[in-house]
Amino acid sequence: MSEDAVRLIPADDSSWGLEAYLRRGGYEAARKAVTSMAPQDVIAEVRRAGIRGRGGAGFPAGLKWSFVPQRGTAPRYLCVNADEGEPGTFKDRAILVRNPHQLLEGMIIAAFGVGIGKAFIYVRGEYDRIAGRLGEAVAEARAQGFLGREVFGTEFGLDVVVHFGAGAYICGEETALLESIEGRRGQPRLKPPFPAVVGLFRSPTVINNVETLANIPSIIGRGADWFLARGLPKDGGTRIFSVSGAVRRPGLYELPVGTPLRTIIETHAGGPPEGVAIKAVVPGGLSAPVLRPDELDVPMDFDSLSRAGSMLGSAGVIVIGDRTPIIEVLKVTARFYARESCGQCTPCRLGTSWIHKIVSRMAEGRGWPADIDLIRDLADGMKGQTLCPMGDAAALPIQALVSKFRGELEQAMSQ
Amino acid sequence: MSYAPSTATLKKIEGMIAPYPERSAALLPILRAIQEESGCVSPEAEAWVAAKLGIRPIQVREVLSFYTMFRRKPAGKTTIQVCWNLSCTLAGAENLIGFLREKLHIGPDGTTPDGRITLETVECLGNCDQAPCLQIDGVDHGPVTRDRAAALIEELEAHE
Amino acid sequence: MSGTKTVGLKIDGQTVQAPEGTIVLKAAELAGISIPHFCYHPAFEAEGNCRMCLVEVEGLPKLELACSTVVKEGMIVRTSTPRILQARKDVLEFLLAEHPLDCPICDKAGECKLQEYYDRHGLFAGRFVEAKEKRDKKVAIGKGLLLDRERCILCTRCVRFLRKVTGTGELGVFERGVRAEIGTYDGVPVGNNYSGNLVDICPVGAITDADFRFKTRAWFLKKGPTVCPRCGRGCAVVVESVSGYPLEEKQRRVFRIRAGENPAVNGWWICDLGRAGRRDIDENRQVRITRKSAPEEKVSREAAIEEIAGRILGIPQAQRGARIAVVLNSLLTCEELALAEKVFAKGLGLPGVYFADPMPGEADGFLLTGERVPNARGVLEAGFSPRLPNLDALAASVEVLLVFGSYLLEHFSEEAISRALAGIPSKFLFSACAGPLDRLADFVFPVALPAEKSGTYINVDGLRQTFGRAVEPPPGVVSEREILGCLANGLGLNRGGPDAC
Repeated sequence: MSEDAVRLIPADDSSWGLEAYLRRGGYEAARKAVTSMAPQDVIAEVRRAGIRGRGGAGFPAGLKWSFVPQRGTAPRYLCVNADEGEPGTFKDRAILVRNPHQLLEGMIIAAFGVGIGKAFIYVRGEYDRIAGRLGEAVAEARAQGFLGREVFGTEFGLDVVVHFGAGAYICGEETALLESIEGRRGQPRLKPPFPAVVGLFRSPTVINNVETLANIPSIIGRGADWFLARGLPKDGGTRIFSVSGAVRRPGLYELPVGTPLRTIIETHAGGPPEGVAIKAVVPGGLSAPVLRPDELDVPMDFDSLSRAGSMLGSAGVIVIGDRTPIIEVLKVTARFYARESCGQCTPCRLGTSWIHKIVSRMAEGRGWPADIDLIRDLADGMKGQTLCPMGDAAALPIQALVSKFRGELEQAMSQ
Repeated sequence: MSYAPSTATLKKIEGMIAPYPERSAALLPILRAIQEESGCVSPEAEAWVAAKLGIRPIQVREVLSFYTMFRRKPAGKTTIQVCWNLSCTLAGAENLIGFLREKLHIGPDGTTPDGRITLETVECLGNCDQAPCLQIDGVDHGPVTRDRAAALIEELEAHE
Repeated sequence: MSGTKTVGLKIDGQTVQAPEGTIVLKAAELAGISIPHFCYHPAFEAEGNCRMCLVEVEGLPKLELACSTVVKEGMIVRTSTPRILQARKDVLEFLLAEHPLDCPICDKAGECKLQEYYDRHGLFAGRFVEAKEKRDKKVAIGKGLLLDRERCILCTRCVRFLRKVTGTGELGVFERGVRAEIGTYDGVPVGNNYSGNLVDICPVGAITDADFRFKTRAWFLKKGPTVCPRCGRGCAVVVESVSGYPLEEKQRRVFRIRAGENPAVNGWWICDLGRAGRRDIDENRQVRITRKSAPEEKVSREAAIEEIAGRILGIPQAQRGARIAVVLNSLLTCEELALAEKVFAKGLGLPGVYFADPMPGEADGFLLTGERVPNARGVLEAGFSPRLPNLDALAASVEVLLVFGSYLLEHFSEEAISRALAGIPSKFLFSACAGPLDRLADFVFPVALPAEKSGTYINVDGLRQTFGRAVEPPPGVVSEREILGCLANGLGLNRGGPDAC
């Protein structure tokens, strides 16, 4: 099989359709799973591969699937998280547009493994103009008997519904996504209960990211060992790194998990433009705490970044050049979380707003050094104490910015 | 003055309800369909949707007011949404926004005096390698360099 | 409940046994430990948005919500470690950042959870120096309720109450983030019979009642638990009043009626009709015994009772059944009804004791019953067969009429009553409030209202509820129990028994 067959984003934009996908071995893995494997074995193989969620949280997908109770007559659902709101991330978009069938194939395998008959693809509202191919791919797959009733002529059936969001970053959080599909405000739910037990329409539900599911056909088709070999023993496969900011060649780079960040920035994305030095790098989407230039040799895998005090998250790499005052970065970050807070819980609703107000004042030149300590305290008040992970997503990057660049911020204040 | 969608939109809306096990779950897609046709979702439309789905109008408004892509009042004929998140700011989004506001004569309420064009700032559009980027009526444009911005403005002004 | 497993856990070092399924917050209550919270309410499922009830559970890395964490065997919980105190302080500091400094003008002062917890946490200095969000402070949301959006902490108890308890859903949450606010839909104000509970459950002064606004301070209120007399449900209520300071020395005023908690009857709620009963207690009261022929004259109770007894005893025993009539009401307590039975049925041998009651209304499907009296079952238990009198029959043969309450007016016109009473030589009215019947009676006796009495009511489900006096009656005003006791003495029926007045 050609290299293209396993790439998550084919090089050729015209090869998104069913025919081209079939030519590169598409739907073979799904056929294998549905016609010749036991559902538990599908889950077991994905667990063996240990693929971690590629949306941001990094939870092992196979493990998540295994949480759905084996017994029970309630309908089950698969929700595909195509909300892609994490700033600096634009990889799921490319899969939806250039390889929608690989996503669908991954969905079929997942649904078969867990015993799911209906899937919702939650696409952020801002992608609705580019989601045409996704809809067409669903129709193509249905016409071929890969979706709908009696998939591959078996008893297994899978319905797919494309559901658009309407502008809310928080709907990327899995329980807020469920609320949104159910026609409500995107306000995260208390966990427990977890979606695997009480999820969409109160039924057992699996929620997976687009890229995660797009990897499933290869795991089943080529095996867990193959997948693991492409990355690291505990964190296998490839990641699609979205690279943007102060680099010569912004874009998407599918590379093995564990590739050093510096390699991604310099070798692949061409490094910063002429005359610009790197001041800071956001490694995993805006919610991932910023890294300094001396921290860029970190391997891009979950554990290494965690040890470095940041996270792999959505693998959105944003390079900040030395011409950018850090207060600008701080302002954009504080403003984003304040605007996107759903408002449900005290620390996030009021913490993001308060921090935004302080940072705005600082950006207008009316800040003082005590503000930095206050921001750190307020971020502490949000960490680990909010209803959903967005509290941390807001607090950690802001804390990293004010801690690692305190000198620059204070200097700006004294002017 | 009560609301009714066009026949075509009504058909679309009715098709949207079936895929959901609970009627009320079709709310978001239906609101999008109404807004696509009417430019916004008026209080009369709220009442209509509520009746259609068997929920209360207040529940419709709760949803409408939560999501930024929904409008309760009409905007300009053309909407420009400029991203001002990190990658786009690094690429000069602030200048771009200033430039557009000036050249299009956008007032403090975000609309041109003749009400034709609305300019809004939005968060990350998921198009970061094309920074600075924007959407015009939902269609992506980027990188919007100064020249590109000037060209877009010309296009917009040409279309009366 | 037999068969329910109990779970043993440790909370702050104390061993607690709690039924399976209990949340940590409730289990702590059992151990006498109160965990602060805003959004949690026992009537609803855990909400988890205020983040105030975080506790430490050994073995778990993050703080957990006491309101939604269910007890497990062997669980070790701590509720006051430095980490938890800091977490609570964080929540309070966030809330106070955008909270207006309204305490001096806020009705909730003195019974406000935010004040209480801030006080408990050491009144730390505020660090918010930015501009606070400006919001509407006096939004009329319906039924005299006012919403102050600056004070609102978005606990959503009000929204959830209207969704889950009344099912009317008049309130919702609009916008998001710090802009999020509570409100009604245009033209659909709060309009159900349980709206007053919204004020009770709001932990801060965001939802207040215009009826109570600016009238007094919570710490002046004396709380008198009793049973609501306005229908057959017998909800537990708390009558809150002030006697003396800061009013005039002899002044008494009832400022509000709140729900009392009674799991067997009304749970945590009362209806607005019950709350409106506040006005009856203060307004338009009879305060002194009045003799029609000499209205200015000061009449003592003993003297008046003596006259009444005299007229009754003036009728030969054999004729009393035909010539004496009594009209009672179903707001009398069981004790009063038993006494009335002794005096009128046994003592005077009256075959029929009549009843005139407030007209029934519509049951509302929840607490409010169709019958609008609190003790209809008590009346039956005392052996009465309640029926309205026939006015013509009364006019034809009765010489002495005792009427307790003014409810005849709900069944007959003033004119008809006036005509009938014109033909009756001696008429005595025992009524709490001044009214059109006063001018028809030879003596008008003020009586205490149910809130001013102690006694027992039997509710619509047959539940006996004994209550104490919730508020002092106006000076000199006594209950029917005392009046009947005195009358029994005056008629020589008592022979020194315990009901002597």
